[in-house]
Parts: sequence; C-alpha cells; structure tokens
Amino acid sequence: MDRSMIARWLGVCCLSAILCCIDAHAATPAQGWRIDEAQTSIAFTIDAVGFPTTRGHFAHYRGRLLIDFDRPAKSYTTFTVDAASVDVGSPSFNDFVKSAALLNVERFPTMSFASTQVDKVDAHTARVTGNLTLLGVTKPVTLTVDVASDPAANPAAKSRAVAFVAKGRIQRSDFGMTFGIPLIDDALEITVKTRALSDE
Amino acid sequence: MNRVTTVWPLSLRLAHWLNAALVIGALGLGAFMVLAVHSAATRFELTQTHKSIGVGVLVLTVLRLCLRCVMRVHRPEPASRSVTIAAKAVHIGLYSLLLLLPLSGWLMVTSTPVRVPTVVFGLFELPYPLAPDIARFRVAHAAHIVLAVTLAALVVLHMVAALVHAWVWGDRTLTRMWLRADRVL
Repeated sequence: MDRSMIARWLGVCCLSAILCCIDAHAATPAQGWRIDEAQTSIAFTIDAVGFPTTRGHFAHYRGRLLIDFDRPAKSYTTFTVDAASVDVGSPSFNDFVKSAALLNVERFPTMSFASTQVDKVDAHTARVTGNLTLLGVTKPVTLTVDVASDPAANPAAKSRAVAFVAKGRIQRSDFGMTFGIPLIDDALEITVKTRALSDE
Repeated sequence: MNRVTTVWPLSLRLAHWLNAALVIGALGLGAFMVLAVHSAATRFELTQTHKSIGVGVLVLTVLRLCLRCVMRVHRPEPASRSVTIAAKAVHIGLYSLLLLLPLSGWLMVTSTPVRVPTVVFGLFELPYPLAPDIARFRVAHAAHIVLAVTLAALVVLHMVAALVHAWVWGDRTLTRMWLRADRVL
C-alpha cells in the first residue's frame, strides 16, 4: 500500500548556513562567499507507518552566504530551492511527491529560506533562525549548524573554505501540508550540507 | 461422451492460467514488498504494480464468472462424494477470495489518508469512491492480509489437488485445463 510515502517535501531548504562562528580566522567584515555546489546537498527524511523511511534531496537551488566571523549576528544566508527538482529515488515517486498532495510544484515552484538571526553557540556551532516559505506559507524555523574549517583549504592561498551542516526539524502541517497524517509523520528532518568558499 | 468436449472452453482455460499468473504474482509481490523491501522508492514502485495486478485479478475474475454463466461448463471428473464436495468448496472459496482480496485492497487505497492514485498499468485511473477514513483503512488492511494468507493457502491446496488428480488418481481434471487440451484429450 501505499502509504507511504512519502515524503516529501520539503524541503527545505534551508539553509545553510551560515554561520558564523569559527573563531580564529582573519577578521573581515561580512563578506560574500561562494557556495561550492559540489559539496552541497539539501536533503530531508520522513518516516511513515508501515513504509520505509523516505530520504530525498533537491538538486536545484540558489543560495547566498554572507559570513562575518567577528560578528556572527551580521552573517546572513538565503536559499531558494526548485521544488520540482526533488528526488526521492524513482520517477513515479518523484511525480507523486511533486503532486498537489505534497509539494504542489505547479502552484509553488520554489521554497525558500532566509535567515533572520544568527547566534553563535560555541566555536563550532551556531543557531540560525530564519523564515522558511513552503507552499506559500512562511514560518520561522531554527536550524542548528555545525561549522568546520575545511582542512582541504590552503591557508597559504588566498582562499578559505568552511563546511556547514545545518539540521532542523519542521512540522509540515504548519505549512498546510497535512497529507497522510498520521500514517506519514507530521515532522520531518532537514539536513543541509554545504561548503562556502571565499576568494578574498 | 465425446472426450474432446470434456476440455474447458479455450477462453476459460486462458482466463484460468492468466488469472493464476496474476494471483501468484500479486501474492508474491505483496509479500516481498512488505517483508523484504527497505527502499521507500522501490516500495512505492512495487506498490503501484501490485495495485495494477490486483485490479487485473478483479476484472479477470468477474470475466471468468460471466463466461461460466454463458458457456457450457462440464461436470467434474467422477469422484467420491466427499472429494466432489471438497472441490466445490475450494472453488467457491477461490472465486470468493479472488473477488474479496482485490476489493479489500481497493477499500484500503480509497480509505487511507495516504491516498496515492492507482493508474492501472498506466492506462486509466481507478476511482476512489469513498472518503479517507483511517479506521476503515485499518480494518481493510487487516482483512487484506488475512484474505491474502487464506488465498495463498487455498491456491496451494488447489495445486496439490490438481497434482493428486493427475498423478495419483490418473483422471483428466488437470489435463482438460491445459491450454493444448484439445490435442491431448
């Protein structure tokens, strides 16, 4: 049966990160960073009764990062995800997740996240709060972001790389996505991994 | 009696073996996807196929029953009264389950809150006549499982009985259902 399913959605987007923290580096004012698309994934998981955990990701997105290590609160990020780029593992499953029952991509082709607040928790962790817009509904969500300097970055070169892993949990019903509840969980996990590059 | 006339009409023989393939396929696929598939995407795909096969079973079973009503159906091979009664009971059970099992599946997919359209073999969409109701879904789900296990048991019994007829009693019960029965008998 189907049931399944599903999952969805969501996407989310998110965020990434941003952040902040990471002490130690050269003090620069908020600066632009490039998102390393080869190291970026916007993924989600959702559970359902009597159905395997659904894991999916979005292939197409646009994102911006502004990182200020000295003043994390000045950091900022925004991501916009192409809802139709969802991939849950098979064409027909993708089509169902994109249908009006879930992502409704015809009516809501994008979902987005824009940070509103960045708080440094410790040297390697930040908490990013922002507005998530899904199915045309905007709600605040908070993501916990692990931040790590990328060991692959060469300090001698005038470039820096910072890896972020942002995780959050949303209740999809908050955004009007009630399909399948309670057989499909209301809550879903969002994980955004990305790497930011700076050419300063 | 002319021996040739004891074979089942070709249409019923074809329907029998096609239905057998569909039923065994649906039962096997259903058990496999629920017990052994841990990928959500694969489970989703297999479930769609399972539903299509189930609709095929339902349509074909109705067709078979209609054919049996309009075509001359021969009496069974001579056997003891107890065997004849048992065979009749098993056949009534098989036909009943061939109707009830797909219908319980239909009730499931129309009652579940996780309503996924059923596009039968990509040809047409199965209507969902009832509104979702999780309590009804749970009843239908439980019934579907019980009916499936019961049908699997009856199918095995049916196959064993056919082999006993052929190999132990040496009658033509199985032979006259062969697709090429006209040439054999």
